[in-house]
Amino acid sequence: MRGLMRRCSFLVAVFLAVLMAGCSSSKESGNKIILWHWMTDRNDTILKLAQQYTQETGIEASVSLFAPSDAYSQKVIAAAQANVLPDIYGILDKKTVVADFIKAGLVADLTASMEADGSAWKKSLFEKALADRSFDMANGYGIKPGIYGVPIDVSNEQMLYNKKLLAKAGIYSAPRSLTEFIKDAKALKLIGITPFVSGWGELWLLDCFASNYAFNIMGEAKIFETFRGRVKYTDPDWVKVFSVFADLRDNGVFIDGIVTKGNKYAEQDFALERAAFTFNGSWCVNVYHSMNPHLEYGVMPPPPVTNTYPLKIWGGAGSSFVVNAASPNKTKAIAFLKWLTSQKQQVVLAQETNNLPANRQASVSISSVLGEFAKGMDESTHPDIWPVNEDPSVREAFDRGLQAIIIGEKTPRQVAQEVQEVKDRQMAKGN
Amino acid sequence: MRTNKYMFLGMTQSTLIHVFLMGMALTCLFPIFWMIRCALMSNDTVFVDQAIIPHHLNFSNFATAWIKGNFAIFFLNSVIYTVCVVTGIVIISSLAAFAFSRLNFPGKNFIFYLFVAAMMIPLPGSFVALFVLMNKLHLANTRFGYILCMINVGLSMSILLLKTFFDKMPHELEDAARIDGCGKLGIWWNMAMPFARPAIAVIVIFNSLNVWNEYILATLLLEDTKLMPLQRGLVVFQGANSTDYPVLMAGLTMAAIPIIIIYLTMQKHIVKGISGEVVG
Repeated sequence: MRGLMRRCSFLVAVFLAVLMAGCSSSKESGNKIILWHWMTDRNDTILKLAQQYTQETGIEASVSLFAPSDAYSQKVIAAAQANVLPDIYGILDKKTVVADFIKAGLVADLTASMEADGSAWKKSLFEKALADRSFDMANGYGIKPGIYGVPIDVSNEQMLYNKKLLAKAGIYSAPRSLTEFIKDAKALKLIGITPFVSGWGELWLLDCFASNYAFNIMGEAKIFETFRGRVKYTDPDWVKVFSVFADLRDNGVFIDGIVTKGNKYAEQDFALERAAFTFNGSWCVNVYHSMNPHLEYGVMPPPPVTNTYPLKIWGGAGSSFVVNAASPNKTKAIAFLKWLTSQKQQVVLAQETNNLPANRQASVSISSVLGEFAKGMDESTHPDIWPVNEDPSVREAFDRGLQAIIIGEKTPRQVAQEVQEVKDRQMAKGN
Repeated sequence: MRTNKYMFLGMTQSTLIHVFLMGMALTCLFPIFWMIRCALMSNDTVFVDQAIIPHHLNFSNFATAWIKGNFAIFFLNSVIYTVCVVTGIVIISSLAAFAFSRLNFPGKNFIFYLFVAAMMIPLPGSFVALFVLMNKLHLANTRFGYILCMINVGLSMSILLLKTFFDKMPHELEDAARIDGCGKLGIWWNMAMPFARPAIAVIVIFNSLNVWNEYILATLLLEDTKLMPLQRGLVVFQGANSTDYPVLMAGLTMAAIPIIIIYLTMQKHIVKGISGEVVG
């Protein structure tokens, strides 16, 4: 028994030692702001900038990384429920969740700070990036109109082309129309180069590409009228959108298995020069650099079918932060975000992390490829800022239909008919 | 002739079984081999070099992973968490299982089923509740709070497993111990614990694996990077859009070594433990 007691005492001692080692207080002082983020690839730079801020202002900026993003989201939700959110954090969810956080008094309204000094802060940032965390007068969430988030970078989705592979086929400039693109694709195919790859096993990316052409073929008003049920998917303009994919398929533009390919694998294909064109988001600059630092490529918007309407690409805030409305350090937190999104810091962020800066002025000091992506920001749009969105089941039928066209299973008219049937069912339910 | 025929059938059967088992072993070992192979490649070659053994071996990934992933502190944290949690689980669950098996007290079965029912609640389902509770107790962002939560996670299964073993312990052994002057704690320590050694080995292996690889609860409860477990070091190499595969694989290889050692040390007990077979 004595031996047993000795062992038990030892274990108790171990527990107490661990308890004492781990019970250090984590309560912040008044001169400290706490930021939680999820961006592993930007952590080193954010830490470096936070240290610089501390040196410049004397206010300690404490940065904590919680990744992956799923774990981060759970932590933020739990912290919100326990009322222990940090001064600055991000909400990685849809606008409805952001609205819930605002209603709960957990997100500060930044409009006054943004519009101070003749809206200097607001004007320095890309408008589309701000729109992502803003609520206008007509918002259906019951939120007071205003700006509730600060983007630290932006992103958009465009096409990219491999300069070396194109040169092999005697092509020295990016195609400016779909007809030119198909011609280039045929020339590439003739010398055994796969023309186009994309991760269209991920429906959102395919949806994004199709949406670009819908904007180009019929304009945004007609698209929104379709979502409202006033224009049918069997309309000739929608059939034209579907036909873009049939044309590309018939001309052998796509890589084999494009509809089952994840974006990660499509990125490998393009980075390793297995295809000449791709469609991807601006984050790909970082990805391609890590896979093949010598890759020579350019950026172009998807080549338009017509010049009737502008071809709009998807884009908006990449990563954004909000300020905890209940924080006693709210003013300091806002000041830190203002500093972080000013030109100088944005240039550092963009250059070290290969992401598009949220600050317009910072765009002039970035790499040429990122600069080409940045040019597209003013022509960008995003479902999050549309006045109306399509029902998810119709969206899915639309995207699955596109996949069926690509593999030659269905014709554009068949898909248009099927999507309209799903739309009719949803409209009937809604009525 | 008949003997030869039986020998032939026996050999064929044995060969088939061995080929099947070797195939299974290969299936299990191949991912480990692939992990080590990728750990020895560079970013330039990992997607290009199709050879089974890389043409250029790059051992620097291990050093990069150790330094960039801040493995020294995370490794130490994981060792502390694993030792404390597994020790806590073994002590608490064995005492609880012994009580459920050998003692009589009101509500015994009800409390036991409550513990077993706790197994049905998936960990993510209790995240928010745990986080709120730990904050109220001022144990969030402390090692002790995390250890308590992890002990809680492993208790139900361990109690169930140990109770099954203790139920099979002959009453004569307990009587003999009592005659020799053992109290209840003495019987638990001198009779029940050695008797349940295979089950304890299984509990140690399963829970070590669970604690060593745990990260989500740590992310939720811990804020200070210095308190994070080893898995925190690995996420550094996985960006939202890009992953540094060779360094990640080097980190994973290093992270897997302690668990492989624990498994190899205790493997002789694992079959007995899982099947509920008692020691002779």
